[in-house]
Amino acid sequence: MDAPLVQVERVSRRYGARAVLDSVSFAAHEGEVLALLGANGAGKTTLLKCLLGVIAFEGDVRIAGLPVATRGKDARRLIGYVPQLPSLPEDDRCEEALAFVAELRGAPPREIDRVLETVQLGAQRRQRIGELSGGMRQRLATAAALLGDPRLLLLDEPTASLDAESRAEFEALLARLRGAGKTVLLSTHALDRLEGMVTRALVLHEGALAFDGTFAELTKRAGGRRYVININGHQPDAILRALGELGVGSDRVERAPTTWADVARAIAPRRDREQQP
Amino acid sequence: MSAVLAVTRREVRAAVRSSWLAGYAIIFTALALTLAFLGERNLGDVGFENFSRTTASLLNLCLLLAPLVALLLGSGAIAGERDRGTLTYLLAQPIDRWELLLGKYAGVSLAIGLATLLGFGAAGLWIALMTSSMAAGTYLLFVALVLLLILAMTGLGLIASVLSATRVQALGIALLVWAVAVLFFDLVLIGMVSATSLGGGGLLAALLLNPIEIARVLAIIHLEPDLQVLGPFGSYLLERLGTGGATAVLVAGLLAWIAAPVAVAAWLFEGGRD
Repeated sequence: MDAPLVQVERVSRRYGARAVLDSVSFAAHEGEVLALLGANGAGKTTLLKCLLGVIAFEGDVRIAGLPVATRGKDARRLIGYVPQLPSLPEDDRCEEALAFVAELRGAPPREIDRVLETVQLGAQRRQRIGELSGGMRQRLATAAALLGDPRLLLLDEPTASLDAESRAEFEALLARLRGAGKTVLLSTHALDRLEGMVTRALVLHEGALAFDGTFAELTKRAGGRRYVININGHQPDAILRALGELGVGSDRVERAPTTWADVARAIAPRRDREQQP
Repeated sequence: MSAVLAVTRREVRAAVRSSWLAGYAIIFTALALTLAFLGERNLGDVGFENFSRTTASLLNLCLLLAPLVALLLGSGAIAGERDRGTLTYLLAQPIDRWELLLGKYAGVSLAIGLATLLGFGAAGLWIALMTSSMAAGTYLLFVALVLLLILAMTGLGLIASVLSATRVQALGIALLVWAVAVLFFDLVLIGMVSATSLGGGGLLAALLLNPIEIARVLAIIHLEPDLQVLGPFGSYLLERLGTGGATAVLVAGLLAWIAAPVAVAAWLFEGGRD
């Protein structure tokens, strides 16, 4: 097998006495799409910062054999990074922001057109970033990450702050990147939309790597597929009784508050709902 | 080095769009013109002064305003990115920390410098057209001195920026540095001269601790070559070093105040990886 593109060996990171990352090790090969899963505070963003070499850590991280601790600048040429929150200046036009990143990444200016087309923002080239929707900004950040044709993309909860429609657009973009053979490490805490999108899942729990395997193995270990059924206004007691008669006890039923994501899904156009799994 | 230039260009572009810098340029221009116009009034005749008198009038104003603007804008360079959550994004690019810092420093300094030149240039041009008495050399020397002071104070602002977790904290430190350098330093120096037997050499050494005072004395040396205005300290400078020697010592001191803060800020920023 080829040498891994990403090699993480016993990486630990502490803030005072608290270990945010505790001896995390894994490797990723070219073309893999990995989901980095875990609850908020599990250490996902910290691990991405270690991969980028922007914070100090114990252990060793290598990107294509380059140690990020000592050759961070060279390693970062191989990495495109999409942060969770928009990080491009709102006053800039899309092309200005991309020109700045292109210069830093040593990419020729003609690449700006290519990446804008990849994320389907060609028409917004001269638009100010502050005028773009959240989804468009996230796609623009992805365009910036693609400048210089990096071998590895690090995406930090890229859909966390997006509405349902923007999330779907971003997922379509991710599918295209996967099709193009990019190696992607995607941090998220949303497990429900990953099936078919990722080749492998890493689960961080309290800073330690709790799982490293395929998505199918993960869902199997988690007790099979989970369904969320909204039974508001449909006699919940009767349905729960019926479930009990089928052998689904109350220990397997969880009451959950309605979230804005649920509301958005409920009022989304019928066509969109049908496309969802 | 192209990464430094890219960051510098981005900083200048952001500064040109900011209302801070436009306000500073407008205030500088207006004050330069006002001081030149009103200066003659004190002598009984309303009109535009020549460059030497205008330069002297502007001296104290510039030594208050330019360091303040440089400290404030310098303090926002890194802390502002940290506050907006964009610092990690910048550092995630193929750029070394020192390159980002140097680019920020150059961009902020260049933007303030351009605004200063715009203000002084407009005032200087207007005065040149309105008066027959020319001392443009002194005026230009003074402008150069203010630019050097801007470089030094932006560097000090940069240290505040690197040390601070938030923009507000950095602003607080910058204002404190400004108050100490501009308001309290003189008082402490006067107190030391009164309470101790601080001679001319001691006074010169103390003066080198404050870039604003260095700029002030340098300006006075070239505005009033006999140095009478500096009293016994002026006599000491003339006797021991001469005008040329004093200029060399003070310029070296100012250059050290430009280089050292940037080096310290880079060192602290590199250590900030932890």
